Amino acid sequence: MPASGAAEPAVRRPPLLAITDLVVERSEASRPSRRILDQVTFVVEPGAVIALTGPSGAGKTTLLHAVAGLVSPDAGTVSWGDLDVTALPEAGRDRWRRDSVGLVFQDFQLLAELGVIENILLPVRFDHWRMPRAAVERAEQLATRVGLDPRGPRAGMLSRGEQQRLAIARALMRSPQLILADEPTASLDADNSARIADLLIETTREAAASILLVSHDDDLLGRAGRVHRLEGGGMRPELRPELQHERGVP
Amino acid sequence: MNPWPVVIADLRALRWVAWAAPLLVAIAVALGVAISAQETALRRSSAQAADDFDLLIGAPGSHTQLVLTTVYLQPEAIPLVDGAILNALAGDERVRAAAPIAFGDSVRGHPVIGTTAEFAARWGRAVPSEGRLFARESEAVVGAEVGLRLGETVTPSHGVATRRPAGTDGEDEARHRHEGVRYTVVGRLPRFGTPWDGAILVPIESVWETHGLGNGHATEDARLGPPFDAARVPGVPAIVVKPRAVADAYGLRAQYRQGGTVAFFPAEVLVGLYTALGDVRDVLVVATTLNDVLVFTATTMLLLALAGLRRRRYAVLRALGASRSYILMSVWLGAALILAAGCLSGLVLGGLAAWVVGQLVEQRTGLVLAVAIGWPEVLGALGLVVVGSLMALLPAVASFRTPVGDSLR
Repeated sequence: MPASGAAEPAVRRPPLLAITDLVVERSEASRPSRRILDQVTFVVEPGAVIALTGPSGAGKTTLLHAVAGLVSPDAGTVSWGDLDVTALPEAGRDRWRRDSVGLVFQDFQLLAELGVIENILLPVRFDHWRMPRAAVERAEQLATRVGLDPRGPRAGMLSRGEQQRLAIARALMRSPQLILADEPTASLDADNSARIADLLIETTREAAASILLVSHDDDLLGRAGRVHRLEGGGMRPELRPELQHERGVP
Repeated sequence: MNPWPVVIADLRALRWVAWAAPLLVAIAVALGVAISAQETALRRSSAQAADDFDLLIGAPGSHTQLVLTTVYLQPEAIPLVDGAILNALAGDERVRAAAPIAFGDSVRGHPVIGTTAEFAARWGRAVPSEGRLFARESEAVVGAEVGLRLGETVTPSHGVATRRPAGTDGEDEARHRHEGVRYTVVGRLPRFGTPWDGAILVPIESVWETHGLGNGHATEDARLGPPFDAARVPGVPAIVVKPRAVADAYGLRAQYRQGGTVAFFPAEVLVGLYTALGDVRDVLVVATTLNDVLVFTATTMLLLALAGLRRRRYAVLRALGASRSYILMSVWLGAALILAAGCLSGLVLGGLAAWVVGQLVEQRTGLVLAVAIGWPEVLGALGLVVVGSLMALLPAVASFRTPVGDSLR
């Protein structure tokens, strides 16, 4: 696990991500508590590309947030190799997320007022006052890899496709071993969707990371090694198990 | 951790608010700073202006008016005191020097003051920066701000007109000119920073003669200054006395408080004025403090609302790996910067406003207000920076406490 984003991505195998009997309930004022995730269990094998799909409100995003340690589950565990992420205190989860997880959002969530390179470097700022030279070089390489000019304009000036490419570069900056992507192509047109899907899968594979993504995009789902369907808070039987053999996913 | 990129992004996102909010704070702070600096300068400068007026003797009337007329040359007709007192004072062992002060004429708006050469030189403290002191009735020495050249000859007019550029006369002056009376400028006094810098000083004898009162001496060709002829010396509006010692000053004041005269130290009047000024200042300080509280509260509420609107932005940073303390630091720094920038700009703006007011006061009265931002103003502004920093914690803590999962939904 790298200590900072300064390190070059090493070829290493990420640990197994295991979600076991995960329960998340949401209580809102004047409404009875509602179970968003109901004993969800599945694994993300090292280097696998796993997709989650399902109707709105099924709990897909909540599941991603729980995996990332952003939401504390009411029961169940999220394990990263031997590490029980759910047992970590908040600061520990922050550290784990910073070092091991890269997030890609549907609406990019860039800082529109900062330039390309500053957005990519942002996750390194969280624990570095002075930016290491190696980190800047890596950010420049990543920008070039996703087809952006490292000296490019502020993020708010980029097209939507460019913004999502920038978001992918930012997610990869600290060489995470797990990419969590929430509807990464949902707000893009068909052409851009296909390009972003390619880019996301390719760059993540280059980084030897695992991917857990949420999508309704058939094209993107078609590239996943396994597709799970969430419905009513529970995991339904795996879709298209034949893909598992075709893609050689364990 | 380095919160600056997020702080810079947040400030850029604020657009015009990033300028408007500090400006509002700056104006609120500037009001307090300007009032404080101006009041301090007014006290100091007005006290300095009265330095050479140890004891004033005049006819019964308003002490304040006598001070305003003699020290600050604010024109007003005041009753005359018997000129014979000048001789009594000249023979009094407690008196180091005494000088009459007479006014009522002007040249191009500059008041013409009749006095002695000794007082014109501020009891020997001042030496003309150009030329010399007057030695004849037809000679004048001008203040540093008077736009007359040495050797220039002028004719006084009765009454006071608006100050005009050199070489131009107003209609009022032309109508009331003392024809036949001429003064030749023979010297220029150094700058005192008082209204006397704009005055034309002439021998007291010439003022008496101009108004048909003789020259105060037994003969026409008597030398200028005291002693005067007891039978011929006319009345004067005021007499400035320089006592030999503090005890002498009190003795003289007690003596000339009776028998148809008033005697007092200008400092007494100033203390009274400062008390009134202090009361006004206190009211203004309360008003500006309330103003500061309102503006600081409004700005903090604005920043709090902005932090609320940016919940998702900060939640995304958390999702990317930022710790809660990083968010706390970023939001606090952004808010504190806005408030601190306002306070420090207010210090500068307040100093500038006090300087502008000082210039206006100098233009209108000739009293130079040495406006300066002192420690009280600096400490006041720094205190507000501290208060602002503490208030900036509100939006920071609000962001710190917001659950990430809820904000990302």
